[in-house]
Amino acid sequence: MTYFKTILGAALATTTLAGTAKAEDLRMSWWGGDSRHEATQAALEVCGEALGHTIKPEFTGWSGHFEKVATQLAGGTEADIMQINWPWLPIFSENGDGFADLRQFADTIDLSQWSDEELEASTRNGALNGLPASVSGRIFFFNKTTFDKAGLPLPTTFDELMAAGPVFAEKLGDNYYPLEGIGLDASLLIQMIVTQQTGKSFINPETNAVQWSAAELQAGIDMYQAMVDNHVIKGWQDRAAQGNIALHENADWTSGQIAGSYQWDTTFFKISDPLAEGQELVPAGLLRVEGAQNDGVYRKPSMVFSISANSPNQQAAAEVLNCLLTQPDGIAAMGSARGVPSSDVAAAQLLENGGIEQIQVDAQDMVMQAVAPAISPYNEDPDVRAGIEDTLELFAYGELDSADASEEILMLVSEALEDK
Amino acid sequence: MGGDSKFLGIAYVSPYIIGLCLFTAFPFLASLYLSFTDYDLLSTPEWVGLDNYERLFTRDRTFSKSLNVTLLYVFMTVPLKLAFALLVAVVLNYKLKAIGFFRTAYYVPSVLGGSIAIAVLWRYIFAEAGLVNMGLTAIGMEPVNWFGDPQNALFTLTLLRCWQFGSAMVIFLAALQSVDKSLYEASSIDGAGKWQQFRYITVPLITPVIFFNLIMQTVQAFQEFNGPYIITNGGPLKSTYLLPLYIYDKAFKSFDMGYASAIAWVLFVIIMVLTLIAFWSSKKWVYYAGDKRS
Repeated sequence: MTYFKTILGAALATTTLAGTAKAEDLRMSWWGGDSRHEATQAALEVCGEALGHTIKPEFTGWSGHFEKVATQLAGGTEADIMQINWPWLPIFSENGDGFADLRQFADTIDLSQWSDEELEASTRNGALNGLPASVSGRIFFFNKTTFDKAGLPLPTTFDELMAAGPVFAEKLGDNYYPLEGIGLDASLLIQMIVTQQTGKSFINPETNAVQWSAAELQAGIDMYQAMVDNHVIKGWQDRAAQGNIALHENADWTSGQIAGSYQWDTTFFKISDPLAEGQELVPAGLLRVEGAQNDGVYRKPSMVFSISANSPNQQAAAEVLNCLLTQPDGIAAMGSARGVPSSDVAAAQLLENGGIEQIQVDAQDMVMQAVAPAISPYNEDPDVRAGIEDTLELFAYGELDSADASEEILMLVSEALEDK
Repeated sequence: MGGDSKFLGIAYVSPYIIGLCLFTAFPFLASLYLSFTDYDLLSTPEWVGLDNYERLFTRDRTFSKSLNVTLLYVFMTVPLKLAFALLVAVVLNYKLKAIGFFRTAYYVPSVLGGSIAIAVLWRYIFAEAGLVNMGLTAIGMEPVNWFGDPQNALFTLTLLRCWQFGSAMVIFLAALQSVDKSLYEASSIDGAGKWQQFRYITVPLITPVIFFNLIMQTVQAFQEFNGPYIITNGGPLKSTYLLPLYIYDKAFKSFDMGYASAIAWVLFVIIMVLTLIAFWSSKKWVYYAGDKRS
């Protein structure tokens, strides 16, 4: 019997080792800018070589990536490893079975590098659907060069920001604004204001119900309009005159005429790199409205790495993920292309080796230290977003007043959440 | 024809037949089936009968808006583009110096026209501080908010479509060159001027080609996607939200593929009805060789 057990044990050990060492052909998809594409490809090469796997990179810009992943998942042609936006998890994995449960690979992936809260945020119905690459939050960034030209210090409160608008118009000209904000930026700016004023996030992450009254939302919309009226934010109609163009591609931004943005901290280099020479962009944290109950920070796992539920090579994919996020060579190659890593060992290694710029660390600290209730991933659901942004556009074009816009938003968002 | 030859013929056309079945016929029929289902792309379609169509015609304000915008776009674009293409073809039909160069040059926009790069270029040309507004300012006029004003945005996209006149122009040019020159000579002897020749000889003789271009351009205009997607993303206030963009958003953003399929079928029926009307009306204004009408 002992002899039989020894043989069986040896056979199992051999099988396990063979499984680990077997070379697999994998695919990994992500979105991002050039710096992220280069870093991720380099990291895949390093990890592929170390593990003996071949990993084909598939990368795009942000625009259209959601639709691409949706189509691939529908057709069962998705990559083995995918970078997924955290708010997409409930869309693609309503019951937790849309992606592989990474806890099944706890022997391969060192899950101790993430806090329980971080892992919980990416868990659906008990299944760990993704590993957070980093945490991201919205903070204000200001173009210090333009503020200096206007003779103003960077604003630290909403009142100071509000006062900067007329000064910009007077000293720099009508084409200069301290902040930009239409579409999603406007929506999240209003959400920050109302969260500060009410102490509640828009959608309750536990119940998926809207928590604000129409009057509370209206106060936020009115404050947004006050910023437009005070020459703080360029009006929606005037901003739309540029066409459907991203902030970092907008000439008004790169020249410093628009001198501020309420943006993800992880996008710092994406929006600062295109600035004209001599322009300095500075993270300024969150501005508080008078009587704020919290900082109103909109914070979430910025992107998670998931493994396809249909992948025949899940074990190999888990090995690659572990290498990218917890192993020294993978961490070094990935660098800070996705912001300050959530993986403890990765963050420590990059901080120690100067792999993260101090300005990224500062911005991340502002996000992490800010206080606010947790947000729901449904905040960025396409139907929820459309309900808010389409209505805000109607308001901005004078088709609705703020009271009707608030009622309309609550009605459309509640309707969209009913099906979730 | 012997048995072997029959099989050879089938073998030759089989790649086309297989491609047609797999990539056209099957998706076509599948989308008809899906239009009667609730299908979120990630789970099995669920039969809902006519629910999607009922919702479309009774409760969906966005659909009505998008349909109106699409019809306006088609009715603005097609006549403008055909008229412009015919005008350029007539000019290029003259024996001018370096006419080969001009014909190629005028066709180039069509080669590039449908691409993303040209849509991006268009966005820069008509932007607030773009080329067009710079020109207007230079001649002392007020700049125009092309994309931000709902009254102008669709017109800007129409211009992009008209700018891609090359393929229609080449077909018109071929038709103009096939008109028998002796007809012009005979009419000149009878005292006809250039306009009369164009009106009473050229136009009637190229009506089959006008008809062909009309059908093709109408179908293509109904399917326009790149321009509004890249330049305005359907805005402002959905003033450029053409139906293909709405179908795309419903299918791939809202994951409502069943509903998106229903919209696609409504679009198909509209195109089909307009095409049938065009065919019916063609009996009254299209003249073919050997036609007995006087």
